[in-house]
Amino acid sequence: MSNAYIDKFPAEAKVVKAAFYSSFLALALGGVFGVIQTLHRTDIYRFIDSADYYTVLTAHGVFMVITFTIFFLVGVFTWAVTTSLDRGVEDIRFTWSWVGLMTIGTVMAGVAILAGFVDSIDISASVLFTFYAPLQAHPLFYLGLVLFVVGTWVAGADWFRSWWAWKKENPDARIPLPTFMVLTTMIMWYIATMGVATSILVFLLPWSLGWIETVNPLLTRTLFWFFGHPVVYFWLMPAYLLWYTMLPKFAGGKLFSDPLARVGFVLFLLLSTPVGIHHQYLDPGIAEGFKFIAMTNTMFLLLPSFLTAFTVVASIEHGARQRGGTGYFSWLKSLPWRDPVFAGMALAGLLFAAAGFSGMVNAGMNINYLVHNSLWVVGHFHLTVGTAVALTFMAVSYWFIPQVTGKELWNRSVALIQVVLWFIGMTFMTNSMHRAGLIGMPRRTAEPQYTGFEFETAVGSVGELNAQIALGGVLLTLSLVLFFANIIGTAFGSRSDNLPDNGYAEALSGSDDAPRVLDNLKLWTAIAVVLVIIAYSLPLMSIVDRGGLFGPDITAFPANLESVRFLAFAVEHLGTAALESAGTLAWNTLPEVIR
Amino acid sequence: MSQATEEPEQLQEIGHDEYNPIGTLALIGLYFVILVLLWLFVYFVEFLGNDPTVIGAVLTMVGLQ
Repeated sequence: MSNAYIDKFPAEAKVVKAAFYSSFLALALGGVFGVIQTLHRTDIYRFIDSADYYTVLTAHGVFMVITFTIFFLVGVFTWAVTTSLDRGVEDIRFTWSWVGLMTIGTVMAGVAILAGFVDSIDISASVLFTFYAPLQAHPLFYLGLVLFVVGTWVAGADWFRSWWAWKKENPDARIPLPTFMVLTTMIMWYIATMGVATSILVFLLPWSLGWIETVNPLLTRTLFWFFGHPVVYFWLMPAYLLWYTMLPKFAGGKLFSDPLARVGFVLFLLLSTPVGIHHQYLDPGIAEGFKFIAMTNTMFLLLPSFLTAFTVVASIEHGARQRGGTGYFSWLKSLPWRDPVFAGMALAGLLFAAAGFSGMVNAGMNINYLVHNSLWVVGHFHLTVGTAVALTFMAVSYWFIPQVTGKELWNRSVALIQVVLWFIGMTFMTNSMHRAGLIGMPRRTAEPQYTGFEFETAVGSVGELNAQIALGGVLLTLSLVLFFANIIGTAFGSRSDNLPDNGYAEALSGSDDAPRVLDNLKLWTAIAVVLVIIAYSLPLMSIVDRGGLFGPDITAFPANLESVRFLAFAVEHLGTAALESAGTLAWNTLPEVIR
Repeated sequence: MSQATEEPEQLQEIGHDEYNPIGTLALIGLYFVILVLLWLFVYFVEFLGNDPTVIGAVLTMVGLQ
């Protein structure tokens, strides 16, 4: 009998497994669209119409950075809360309800995007990941996103519920570190999603349903980025959680400092949201001063980032020293590099360090102008979400999937080759993307080849850059194939008793050394909200003041669709019915809650 | 076939007081040096390769105007 997660929490293991498999399905779809666009834009192999490129790009973006990352996150967070509180979820039906909401949301948004490939269906959502107006998607897309986000809200409520129940039984205990990380991340997410919820529910959805004529594009963009920067931390925080609480264990050591980890997560809660305007340095409708404030806040984010770099590396080094490592650098050789879980996560961290540099360039107001909207930015986020997050998730899956299925990993060597291949592929792809951005090559462009104009490279050539990007893309696709072979091979294996124990790393300096105030979630929430109000109220007021709440008269693209009218009618009726039943439910349950 | 994570072979137990993360200092120091060199390189890319893109006076930068 092993002591794996599935042995202790069989019902929760099913939820976590469902979340992981959903995320892998999105990863597979996203991967297919990724290689298509890589080969298309570099003009190495084109078999789709260039107009369809934007549908491919939307699918790649949404499936990768919304579905893959967030489904994986809810799996990790459920595991983290149940493991560290050592208790199952309060009500498994409640838990499945948010999995259901997120799944329905994904299917709706996914269908809307993929229908863009079929001319005979007048549904499309080729609006890219950022869905900037006047690009307009079918209402199904926005409704799907709403359901998906509501699903994550309910998931957060589920974890808070577990914590409250645990706190009743352990009134004086410190919040276990993994649960602390989950709760702070979710508070950040609740604040951040207010922006996108407002943007969709008040403006974009009614606009796509034809209830309002126009929107103010700058306002919806700003609301998007209100959510759009913290969402990158929503991708990163589960990876950070794994780096802090699992990587030291895989390295054979202990977490260097529990208090430092808590400080890091509190700082991310405070600073993730009031920085979104740094994505809009080139938006003409926002005053320079507001951008300058966003830049200052952004630079403060370096603090928790470097805190993390120090703590995680020091924890790994502790493992290496316990394994007999010595010297300034030669301790690195004592690390378990043949373990795919450790190697994948460590290589992900290494490329993340490179992303730190390109991120600082993005964050600086004046040098941002040099790289804005160029392929540089694409290179940057393929290092962050595409490697730091994605490679960490894939590598740690080799530990997680046996934990939640009770089956041994199919092939360890294939797993090691897979993570190394991802690292090599990303190195090719991203270094060339950064360089292509420096010579001004645009992002989000199907055919960045222009007659009568040639990009001038200081070193190498455009052909060489394109070749590297395409080679990288092909290696990444290969890596994905190996990943799925391993996951499928594992899923079809038989139950094993020879599994590692479930658990997370102990700390050298534990939670007793952390000041009590760090666990005061109400205080940090209040400060986070105040910072958001300071950073956003004046810019939003000035945007509304200039362009109006519903903006100047803009023409939606593509033009309004026939099927929308029926959907608008249906949504109106369903919405009224849902509100009514929610009202009745609240009316019936409130007295009980109060009692 | 085998477990994804083999139990790491631990040769010694190092406690909180006897551990000095000197290797971490060395690695992060190296990273810092690389960052400084890259920043120097940015000077050539940004200011010698193109016209300066800093806009407005100091006052407009901080939004006082």
